[in-house]
Amino acid sequence: MTTDGPASFAPIPETGRHLASATTRGALRIQGRLLSAAREFLRDEGFTELLPPIIGPVTDPGSRGSKQVDVDFYGHRYKLMTSAILYKQASLLAFDKIFCIAPNVRLEPLETAGTSRHLAEFHQLDVEVAGASRDDAVRLVERLVVHMVDSTVRDLPKEFAELGRDTGAFAELLKGSFGRMRHAEAVAELRDAGHPQSPDAELDWAGEALLSARRDRPFFVTDYPKGSRGFYDREHPEQPGLLRNFDLIAAEGYGELCSGSQRTNDYAEIVTRMRETGENPQKYRWYLDLVREGVPGSAGFGIGVERLTRYVAGLDAVWQASAFPKVAGVVSP
Amino acid sequence: MSDLSAPGFPEEEVRRRARTGTAAAFPPPEEYGTVLFGADRDPHRCGGDPLDALRIVPPVFMPRRLARLIDLGREPDYRDVELTTVIGGFTSPLPVYVSALGSTRAASGDLGQALARQAGALGLPLVIGENVVPVEGYGRLGEAADRALLGRLRAYADALPDGRGGIAVQQSTEDADAEVWNLVYSDPAALPLLETGRLAFELKTGQGAKPGLGGMTVLDAGAAARLADRYGLDDVLGGGRVLRSSTPGTFTAEILRQQIRLMRNNYPRARVWVKLHPGRDVAEAARVAAEAGADAVTVDGAEGGTGWAPGAFPAQVGLPLAECLRRLAAAGPPPCLLVSGRMWEGGRAVKALALGARAVGLGRAALLAAAEDPEDGLTRLVECLALETRMLVSALGKYEPAALDRDDVWSPEFP
Repeated sequence: MTTDGPASFAPIPETGRHLASATTRGALRIQGRLLSAAREFLRDEGFTELLPPIIGPVTDPGSRGSKQVDVDFYGHRYKLMTSAILYKQASLLAFDKIFCIAPNVRLEPLETAGTSRHLAEFHQLDVEVAGASRDDAVRLVERLVVHMVDSTVRDLPKEFAELGRDTGAFAELLKGSFGRMRHAEAVAELRDAGHPQSPDAELDWAGEALLSARRDRPFFVTDYPKGSRGFYDREHPEQPGLLRNFDLIAAEGYGELCSGSQRTNDYAEIVTRMRETGENPQKYRWYLDLVREGVPGSAGFGIGVERLTRYVAGLDAVWQASAFPKVAGVVSP
Repeated sequence: MSDLSAPGFPEEEVRRRARTGTAAAFPPPEEYGTVLFGADRDPHRCGGDPLDALRIVPPVFMPRRLARLIDLGREPDYRDVELTTVIGGFTSPLPVYVSALGSTRAASGDLGQALARQAGALGLPLVIGENVVPVEGYGRLGEAADRALLGRLRAYADALPDGRGGIAVQQSTEDADAEVWNLVYSDPAALPLLETGRLAFELKTGQGAKPGLGGMTVLDAGAAARLADRYGLDDVLGGGRVLRSSTPGTFTAEILRQQIRLMRNNYPRARVWVKLHPGRDVAEAARVAAEAGADAVTVDGAEGGTGWAPGAFPAQVGLPLAECLRRLAAAGPPPCLLVSGRMWEGGRAVKALALGARAVGLGRAALLAAAEDPEDGLTRLVECLALETRMLVSALGKYEPAALDRDDVWSPEFP
């Protein structure tokens, strides 16, 4: 296991050595505690845990440049889930508050092999709440992350010590109030810093790391422009072109941890937004049929489990937070 | 391959160029000294359409020639014209690219490969058309790679000189289901192009041969059955043959704007090209595309199209290229305007450049040339086109295509 030097170029060790390493064990224990803390918190808040589907005729298209994996389902082209978003919205027909810990597969562009923060196979802690607004979701994820980190820091001091992670890094986080900035403000700050961030696009990885490195507590970036996200993020009614969404970005340069939004549940708006994102409505038939009959308005988010683990455990690269890491273009078990 | 023909197109002229190259820019040399030549020798070069009807009109006084004379310290000639042109972010040795050739049978298999290889060797930007992946496959997991998109991409990239050319990959609605852009963007075979800034994605709103309709091909019943889950099939042809239609896709200004932004967001290292059919609002669409950040806007005039189209369309639908250029110039053209539609020789190309285009696309001409000689046909055609372009540009007292302007052409209707 390599924990020093530029992690982006550190090769993933052979599976046996990776699994037997003290760093891997520490990281996975922290990950396990983060997840059990999330389950405690969400159950206490009245959420029902669902087991998410792994395959389906269609999946989330809203992931930057990555390719979906096709599965031959009795002669039909199915997809491995890139996120649970469509099923999260649909599940609200059963329960008002749901969560799941969902595996996702995205064949990310090869350039992501060097970002230290992309895996081709990863997990999301997915949460969806009927009737919630974007700001409700922001407040919920804030409380959830504080609880997860607080429980883990209190329960696993030995693991943090072995990993050399100073838990003093979470002093600001544990106070419970994360920063907030609008996407336009983030763009302005990056441009002031000499970083050529497009105002129409998501924050690029370098820009996100730059903002993250300047902060001592996680912060939300809100109101991303249309054209940077999937069709399901709701557009601001009073500010066309802006979406009622957010990212949660870690401190210390660790970058994005979570994406979320208030969802669109209006059929005509979804079809139009599908076209704006270059999607073919035809292939979303089951989802559109449900939406046409009516799904509740909602808001929700997905926390990248390995990314949160990396941040909390202070790891150089996100693959260190996976027992069996899959990095873009690298053949591994 | 020799069964390929193009009625209504100067096919024999193109084939002659594919065989003889630069010599075809002139009357047969053996006639020199025995035949007296004048205007109207070649009916293809005047009166075909409004662009053909224009004349190229050199001035007598040429201050730019003087500037070039001073620069060189000798009288310049046509060989001093510098044709190198940046096309949608790619560097081309002349203001020419090879237009999209999609899943149509005429462009598949060996011919598509021969074309890609020659375009690569020349360093000409190449557009790979829509519907190749859903119909022919990508070529990574066992499909016949020579027909698939990967085969064309490799044939092109293997022959490509450093610093020249680039590939633009189209994606139709049905291609979007196959995630063609994501596939190419994450493919190891495309990485050398991506890393050198020579990969673009082209968003297509339509084509010149059938504005308002999607791509169409003719399939036999067996092939049609395999594609039934992906395309509209219509039994209107009889004789066991089926019409396969791709949907044209729905666009509004907002849909076009947001799709371009999404392309820039999702593929930050690829260029973004947008292809427009010759619609009556072509200038407005070009403006929206350019403002949203397209690196190139291509307009396919109503004269264009390798594709298969119902007879009513080529004859009666869409604006002629010259009218598209007039409307674009009046509205303020996009920074990098590419045009196609019946391009094959220097005169028509120079007229399009003078009316505001940055470069012209070879479609049918490129296919016919490659069909005539799979080894060197396109190369010879392009050499001839380059020679003519140099002669015409220098005759106007100019030494780079970017210097051409509206004053360089004339017609009674377009003074």
